[in-house]
Amino acid sequence: MTLEALAICLIAAVESAGVEFMVVGAVAAGAYGVPHSTRDVDLLISAKVAGGIAAVIGKLDPVVQFDNQIVFDTLTRGRRPVGLSRSTPPFKVELFEMLDDPFVKSEFARRQHVFVPALSRATWLPTPEDVIVQKLRWGRSKDLDDACDVLAVQSPSALDMAYIQNWCMQHGTEKRLQTALAGIPPL
Amino acid sequence: MSNIHDEPAALKALQDDIYRERVLRARKMTVAERLADVFELSNHQFGLMLAGAMHRLGTRDEDAGWLEVKRWMQRLDRVREIGFYSTEKPTDK
Repeated sequence: MTLEALAICLIAAVESAGVEFMVVGAVAAGAYGVPHSTRDVDLLISAKVAGGIAAVIGKLDPVVQFDNQIVFDTLTRGRRPVGLSRSTPPFKVELFEMLDDPFVKSEFARRQHVFVPALSRATWLPTPEDVIVQKLRWGRSKDLDDACDVLAVQSPSALDMAYIQNWCMQHGTEKRLQTALAGIPPL
Repeated sequence: MSNIHDEPAALKALQDDIYRERVLRARKMTVAERLADVFELSNHQFGLMLAGAMHRLGTRDEDAGWLEVKRWMQRLDRVREIGFYSTEKPTDK
């Protein structure tokens, strides 16, 4: 199964469960930055619908095998079910539960509905500003590269830098933002 | 013959040139085109990983190759995810 076929299955499962969602992670970063390969599809899903996550996992069972172990995201405190596609290649699927983290709530409220020809459907994506803030917050090497790429491709002059700076101040990631901006060569 | 890695300024200029080219190419693409590239590159990457795993194992058995790829992925995840996830619900905001 290709990554796009898996993404279509995921989106169909979440939509049919009536759960609000958006695509995050490397796929979202690739939409606004420099496209690169990824091993996973990550969805941020709303916890508004009781039993929503369980319903999504159940609908995905024919294509994704989820771990039984419950794992929590230490930044946003939400549950994070992780699975692997049952077919090859073994793509990883991560579902991030949206709880009460103020930034994640803002990110979700600002999500955009975008038609993706490769998926033959529209789907929900964060804004580029929110991808940058979240990637700086995670702060791993690959996240910082993604943040720098989105800043460079979208251009600080076209981004809402006040919004980005405000969240970076709240997250204590201003230095990471400055480093990312300094890493962009003159274009 | 000189080695560019011995010349920090020249190396930085080369890195900037390569990065600039990648960024300018991405800027010419739409969101849909960039996403199509993400999907294509990801599918291709797994093909290369499978070929590498089978070569390393010295096998033509694809199933064995995929098992090795999964093992590689698990090792990568263990390195990348330290401290980010917990099996106990975090209490601090």
